[in-house]
Amino acid sequence: MSEGTFFLLTFILYALGAIFHLAYSFSRKESLARTGSSLAFGGLLLHTLALILRTVESGHAPFTNMYESLSFLAWSTVLAYLFVERKYKLRRAGAYIFLLVIALMALASSPLMPKEATPLVPALQSYWLWLHVSVTLLGEAFFAIAFVTSILYLRAESREKKSGASKRRPTAAELDSVSYRAVAVGFPLFTLGGLVFGMVWAHKAWGSYWSWDPKEVWSLITWFVFALYLHTRIVMGWKGRRSAVIAILGFLTALFTYFGVNYLLSGLHSYV
Amino acid sequence: MKALLRFFTSVRLAIVLLIFIILASMVGTLLPQGRSAEEYLTRYGQLSALLQRIQLTNVYQSFWYIGLLCLFSLNILICTLTRLSPKIRRVFRPQLGSEALSLLTLKIKDRFKLPGDVHSIQEIVKRELRRRHYRVRGKEAAGKVFLLGQKRALGRFGSDIVHMGILIILAGGILSGLASHRQSLTLPEGQTIPIAGADFSVRLDKFVTEYYPNGSVKDWKSHLTVLEKGKEVRQKAIEVNHPLKHRGYLFYQSGYGWDWPRARLEIWVRKSDQASAIEKIFLRVGQKQSLEGGNIDVVARRFLPDFVLDERRQPATRSLEPHNPAVFLESWKNGEKVFSGWVFAKFPDFGRVHGTAAADLSFELKDIDAPPYSVIQMAKDPGVPLIWLGCAVLMGGLFLAFYWPSRELRIVIEETNGKSELTAGGSASKGSDAFEREFSAIMDSLRKTR
Repeated sequence: MSEGTFFLLTFILYALGAIFHLAYSFSRKESLARTGSSLAFGGLLLHTLALILRTVESGHAPFTNMYESLSFLAWSTVLAYLFVERKYKLRRAGAYIFLLVIALMALASSPLMPKEATPLVPALQSYWLWLHVSVTLLGEAFFAIAFVTSILYLRAESREKKSGASKRRPTAAELDSVSYRAVAVGFPLFTLGGLVFGMVWAHKAWGSYWSWDPKEVWSLITWFVFALYLHTRIVMGWKGRRSAVIAILGFLTALFTYFGVNYLLSGLHSYV
Repeated sequence: MKALLRFFTSVRLAIVLLIFIILASMVGTLLPQGRSAEEYLTRYGQLSALLQRIQLTNVYQSFWYIGLLCLFSLNILICTLTRLSPKIRRVFRPQLGSEALSLLTLKIKDRFKLPGDVHSIQEIVKRELRRRHYRVRGKEAAGKVFLLGQKRALGRFGSDIVHMGILIILAGGILSGLASHRQSLTLPEGQTIPIAGADFSVRLDKFVTEYYPNGSVKDWKSHLTVLEKGKEVRQKAIEVNHPLKHRGYLFYQSGYGWDWPRARLEIWVRKSDQASAIEKIFLRVGQKQSLEGGNIDVVARRFLPDFVLDERRQPATRSLEPHNPAVFLESWKNGEKVFSGWVFAKFPDFGRVHGTAAADLSFELKDIDAPPYSVIQMAKDPGVPLIWLGCAVLMGGLFLAFYWPSRELRIVIEETNGKSELTAGGSASKGSDAFEREFSAIMDSLRKTR
């Protein structure tokens, strides 16, 4: 089977995962959510195979164009979600995470995105491509989890305000806490992959660890927004609504760094 | 002075500064940076003078951006230092003797009675805590035993270590800004260039471009030799991602090109009346070559590697890549000009089609042999080691702050009615769920001791 077939099967499994999770969020049957997550886990395995096949076929890391990196971001997000679900027993976010994942996959396979595996330009021929991109995108996947749980928090909070805390899991407080924990995992990963590995690679490839390239500046902005999140939360004790808003802004900044900078601003990072 | 100190210790200041830095950084990516004054004038007209005056065209080197970063550094430094000494005291010289009642106000707590005297219980508790890798301190006063167990105390300093890492990185950045030295070297093959400020020179022995089967560039390799007092001391083929390092100087493959003004052009001259008779001549721009015993003269006037017509319909080159090489030739036969026009390597029929070809002569640009040169970026940046040190400290601090939660357990043992009553309370810097589990496991195993 080709990489394309695996990609399609993965897409179908993620879509089924989303449907089961949506059904769960209406009917509250635990078994539905479990089935959904198992399907998504199957999708993750097929997705991994697709990425491996892509690597073998192209002979380089599977994130050198928009199609590849979107697909990898989707993969990381599923991985991050399954990790968070297992660790914090949070099922409610599943439906929305998988909708986000499907959107990423659909965007990856849309005709707008260049798909063909091209040989690597000299600047990308480095093992730092693996380290820099994979760790950064994994960090951003955790920011995506924080984004979705924060949005769900805002909804749950306004509902609880009206009708009091319900016994339905999870409560707003749980969503708030999971959102924080996702940032706590994503922030060190993003720092390591995006900023530290990025600087090391820039030093090796361009001769300067920092050039104020728009992508660099926007990664720094993303980092500052999450630093703001952590300081307001840990030192000033902000929680709930205000924290959620910062986490949402943080993910949007990360998204702009990843996506918007390529299309709207020009600079050194014009590979993808 | 005190008020100033208080101003800099506030987290609120840090938040405000963070927001300002975020906004300023955004502005720098929205306006093109570091362009020429003319470009700003055509882009923004009247506004351009103002933009340049307030340094919006050079945000990251502007006095206000650097000022913001300095304020931020000062804020971090003072915040970290003022919070450090109470933390150090708490970890290394902790107060023992918290009363049982104060322990019971903690979120994680327990109280129960055990048979046996205070001293034997104390030993059991100490053993249990040490088994779980707690560092135990104890003191006795008024018949009571006060115990303190600490674990992963370093975790408490995670955020301080992160802040130190950031300060080291900023210091490295300042050092780079003040003392780094960068230069772009353009080296044709065979040329040696002395490095300014250093007593060695670098020679480019060979420059190779490798291509993929589809024609795109796979790699550029510059074979460099380092010479010290005329002696060869080091050789390395540098590529993108693989620089050469010598005495603190780094040499990066950053570009390439061809020395077009010195290109040797291979031109085939054909006589229209006898199609097979071809004469090959080699010309450089400005050179004249004679054919047929001096009857015919050919001169190359101008060469463009990537021919286009610019907005004024004048020949120009779009790039320095040989995408559309063209030469302007003139030819005389017996003193009479018979040809004058552009000859294109990619469109050999151009002259015939456009009727510029002389009646009996046609020219083809068959090959261009220009000496390639390599562009090598030289950098000496004394800030770099500090940057890596700062990054390592930063990552270590982040790990400690998020994944090395410090735990503290205080226990008071007092005698009541021949039994020992044990009161325990605990706190963790993060991950209190996991700590709560450990706490109750410790309490359970203590309860079982009879």
